[in-house]
Amino acid sequence: MAEVLRALRLYVLLQRASARAALQYRANTVIGILSGAVWQGTGFAFIWVIMHTFPSLAGWGLAEIAFLYGLRLTAHALAMIPLMSVNDIHWLVLNGEFDRFLLRPLNPLVQLMGNRMGIAQFGDLLAGVALLAVAGRSAHVQWNGWLVAFCAAAIVGGALIEAAFFLALCSLSLRLIDTFALRVFVDDVFSKFGSYPMKIFGGAVEWLFTFVLPVAFVAYVPASVVLGKLGDPLAVAAPLLGVPLIVLAYLFWRRNLDHYQSAGH
Amino acid sequence: MTRIGFRLALAYRGNIVMTCVALVAQVFLLRMIWTAVYGSRPAAAGLTLDALLACLTLANLQGFATHMLVTRIVHQRVRTGTVFFDLARPAGYLRQMAAFQAGNTLGGLLLLTPVVPVVLLAGSITAPVNPAGYVITLVLGYVIAVQLALLISLIAFWTLEIGAVSLLYRLVSQFFAGTMVPLAFFPGFLGSLAEVLPFKYLGYVPAAIYVGHISDVSGAVVVEAAWIAGLWALLTLVWSRAHRRVVIQGG
Repeated sequence: MAEVLRALRLYVLLQRASARAALQYRANTVIGILSGAVWQGTGFAFIWVIMHTFPSLAGWGLAEIAFLYGLRLTAHALAMIPLMSVNDIHWLVLNGEFDRFLLRPLNPLVQLMGNRMGIAQFGDLLAGVALLAVAGRSAHVQWNGWLVAFCAAAIVGGALIEAAFFLALCSLSLRLIDTFALRVFVDDVFSKFGSYPMKIFGGAVEWLFTFVLPVAFVAYVPASVVLGKLGDPLAVAAPLLGVPLIVLAYLFWRRNLDHYQSAGH
Repeated sequence: MTRIGFRLALAYRGNIVMTCVALVAQVFLLRMIWTAVYGSRPAAAGLTLDALLACLTLANLQGFATHMLVTRIVHQRVRTGTVFFDLARPAGYLRQMAAFQAGNTLGGLLLLTPVVPVVLLAGSITAPVNPAGYVITLVLGYVIAVQLALLISLIAFWTLEIGAVSLLYRLVSQFFAGTMVPLAFFPGFLGSLAEVLPFKYLGYVPAAIYVGHISDVSGAVVVEAAWIAGLWALLTLVWSRAHRRVVIQGG
């Protein structure tokens, strides 16, 4: 436990240094955050324009879709703000820079995470929280303490699911397998198919996103619970799925780390 | 220059493959969403579901074809100072860049060809109502797209940094080109805005002519020609100012 706390303290220190580095370029930081928010904004503008003509999408109204979209986006931002700099792993391994992490007395993954700050991801967070706040008020939900807690758990759980897939793919870079393009694709699938009611895909695709790549559990299942659209009592456990997945992903990371061979400098 | 652009497209095969996969996913997603909202309606905003899906599938394919690399290249060359070599060549700078972009598009199209059937399967397609009109408006739309990309590129001569600007431009242009929602559905002010902006000629207008939603081809061609002439004049003017501002970094 003391070890974990120490790692956490050092991680915060590293992130603070990264934040200071990023803030040296103030205009760039602001533009980065804004472009993240605008990017997500146009994604939602599409739904807004459609719902202007059509009253419902598979039985979901505009506010309900906005809530689902916001839930997915907030979970995504929460996953990627700390993990953004892990994206550089392939490059760090090739350069031999990763060897430096192994020599320092701190978990290499924590060092990797503290290396750089995800700036545009704060824009995602901004857009996600704004959508949640507005949609949470206009969708007819009887808010109470337990529902708010469930929402918070769902956001964390969803973030863990996405983080697990991201980390597992990044782990392969320790064996010099570049998975960058694949990560972009997985991210794309999570954002494209995770932001809409699964019902519209039907059949095989719905099954695929529930049991193979569990996109459905990031936001669709929890949002259905909050909006009272799912009768299945098991759905309440959706936020828990992220825990075993992230543990598995971390074990996978450790395994690949054991096989790490320096690029040879 | 055209050959260089063409080769560059082939050199980044991996990128294009990923883009193609994303394109298929996008078209499939759009098909599912629109099918769900249409439900049992025969038509909305004057479009049947089949026509709408064909329109969107085409607009997305065109979006891929009108994706411009030239902005990134100009940015990179201005930043590194290698723009000097482009300026030292006897051919006009803008002409070189336009040729480069055309070659790059051709290379991209060559790699896209095997994917087209998959995209059409993931989306949907109908027989063309007006194939000639489609090709003419699309080619003119492509010229507009290149001109706009060059205009954005020239900003680099002033600011040396256009990463954020070009990202915003891409978002706005894709949205108003109607790659996700046909312009017929844009409400009120958004609709008027989309109507006057040139982006609709990159996606929606040719696709709508293809499915027969727009029958007035000559009207579209006249407006496109006017845009091309106007943008050409603007480009000439901006370029005459820009190339006086050339500062070679580290030269």
